[in-house]
Amino acid sequence: MSTFRIREPFADAVESAVLPRLIRLSGGLYAAAFQLMKLLPAQFVLRRAMEQGLLTERTTVIETTSGTYGLGLAMVCRRLGLPLILVGDPAIESPLRRRLEDLGARVSIVSGQAVRTGGIQQARLDRVERIRQRHPDSFIPGQYDNPMHINAYGRVAELITESFPRLDALVCPVGSGSSSTGIAGFLRMVWPELILIGVDTTGSVLFGAPNGRRRLRGLGNGLLPQVLDHSLFDEVHWIPAKDAFATTRRLHTDHTLFMGPTSGASYHVARWWAERNPGATVLAVMPDEGHRYQRTVYHDAWLGREGFAGDEVAKEPLDIAHPGELGQVWSRYPWGRRTRAQVVEERATLDAR
Amino acid sequence: MSSQPGTGNHFGQGGVSDDAVIPGGTLLASPDFDRTTFSTAPREGRGTARGHHGELLQGVFEWSGGLHRGLVTLPCPTMSTEVTVRITEGAPAWTVDPPWKTKALRAALATAGILGTGAAGGTVSVRSNIPSGFGMGSSTSDVTATIRAVLNAFGRDLPTSRIARIAVEAERAADPLMFDRMLLFAHREGMIIEDLHVRMPPMKVLGFVARPDPVETLAFTPARYSSWEIECFRALRGLLRRGAREGSVQALGRVATASARLNQRFLRVDRFASLLQVMADSGAAGIQVAHSGSVVGLVFDAADPDLARKTALASRGLLRVGISRTWEFCTEGDDEHLPDP
Repeated sequence: MSTFRIREPFADAVESAVLPRLIRLSGGLYAAAFQLMKLLPAQFVLRRAMEQGLLTERTTVIETTSGTYGLGLAMVCRRLGLPLILVGDPAIESPLRRRLEDLGARVSIVSGQAVRTGGIQQARLDRVERIRQRHPDSFIPGQYDNPMHINAYGRVAELITESFPRLDALVCPVGSGSSSTGIAGFLRMVWPELILIGVDTTGSVLFGAPNGRRRLRGLGNGLLPQVLDHSLFDEVHWIPAKDAFATTRRLHTDHTLFMGPTSGASYHVARWWAERNPGATVLAVMPDEGHRYQRTVYHDAWLGREGFAGDEVAKEPLDIAHPGELGQVWSRYPWGRRTRAQVVEERATLDAR
Repeated sequence: MSSQPGTGNHFGQGGVSDDAVIPGGTLLASPDFDRTTFSTAPREGRGTARGHHGELLQGVFEWSGGLHRGLVTLPCPTMSTEVTVRITEGAPAWTVDPPWKTKALRAALATAGILGTGAAGGTVSVRSNIPSGFGMGSSTSDVTATIRAVLNAFGRDLPTSRIARIAVEAERAADPLMFDRMLLFAHREGMIIEDLHVRMPPMKVLGFVARPDPVETLAFTPARYSSWEIECFRALRGLLRRGAREGSVQALGRVATASARLNQRFLRVDRFASLLQVMADSGAAGIQVAHSGSVVGLVFDAADPDLARKTALASRGLLRVGISRTWEFCTEGDDEHLPDP
């Protein structure tokens, strides 16, 4: 009675890497390990835009990003033969920039006076607008605003439901919010009781914590993306950069899984949750691999220079009464599937007392 | 593995399909041989087909790079159709009784055309206990039983996938009642999107109607799903595969419930939130609906040792919601549907 399925070669390199590998780590703890998660929304959004006639082979794709979404777009645009302009900031790593340019993307860096007057985010948006005016036939994917980025994750949900008869909890690092909102939203249709745990970092405003410097790029956000649906989350954790880096290394040594620091943060929370819930099945989303971080997270001298030396991390999160009280340690807040406004209003009520 | 649509236009050729072939008689006995040698009495053929109780899953699904409307039906062996065909030699006219079963008549004509029966015609007599307008596959059941009866009368066979396509041609959209296993079926194209290769695990279903008025299946406008809904069907399809592989009524019940929830936007089931509560309180595995009809069912694992208590609890729960008329059946009943020899 076994179902029979024959394997086929992948149609191209993008298709070979859009889905995560589901990997058992220990007990009921599993990883959904992506090579480069952002490839999936890049491929989905551009394909759908082409189907809807919003995008032809003459259209210039323009996006503001200095991170992995830019790399995803560059790979997909290369395969589709689309011109791509990426607007980034001076902090973009030079190996990434070289890779983007190898793939034919034009990288436009904002710096100087524009940044000093209006802030980096505003400067980047202004630059996008100027480029758009010069390219009348253009398409802006809009990873923070365009809900198609959420819909891209249906294929991941399918892989998960096909692989697990039931899942108790999903742990998702949150940056733009599209993967957590997408995967959990689809999974909740079949598993309404699924616990969604968001992993954010100190300094990020996503879940109502104070704005600050974020040492861990790719996790959290200084802006509030429209694609993030806060009301899906049961629980939110904030992981400081140091803890994330240490657990990224630990994921490598414990399980030989070589991933980036957002994956380490995800692993940290998922492992803690799995220990507290024996017998439960928990899946940790891991967005990218470790190669980009060999000179940083995987480099002891760099860690020492930056003040991240030592592998001791907190064993338990600090339970906080409100995200507004977040300090610099691993913290946890029972979000309870509320909207961001509801949580922020609660703060006002607490303050009034 | 999916069956290829549109392959082969003639029965009996090797390699037409990997699907099961209905043993309707011997291929060696041609109609001429039959008539001249054995009998002068009018030839008769019989065919049966069961009905269904709506769908476990209905939506749009990717197949070979494109999106197709498709469904998985919930078998209902207590509902069935029996068709008798009497061949009239030398008079190529076909009639049907009762006369309003025009889809059955079209199916008889189409099958006769494919078989090349020439001057022969016949009468098609349809007897069915499946009410129409409830989304229980009454017309597909008529059509499938008719095709089988015509094949039986002429002592011929066709692959099941071919029968499915004749059924779609006769009635524009057909349910996969001709197959004996779980599959995701493109009901408007007569094509298998995905063959799960297993029979559905036995389920006990407590059925009732969602609303008083019947739905005309073809007049009902097909759902226009949002992009999010289209992608959401992938999650349901994944769990359908896992449930089929493990024979898990629990997993399949969740697929059914999700599909019913997604269909609320297109064809509402009254008091749906209360019904979900009855499902949860009684420990039912799920709730399934006829996506273009009016039957609804609470689904239970037929192998559950606590089944009687759960169905009793569900009946009482339904009564509190105001639903007093219910029926019960098991999907794995006496559902032998092959034509009688």
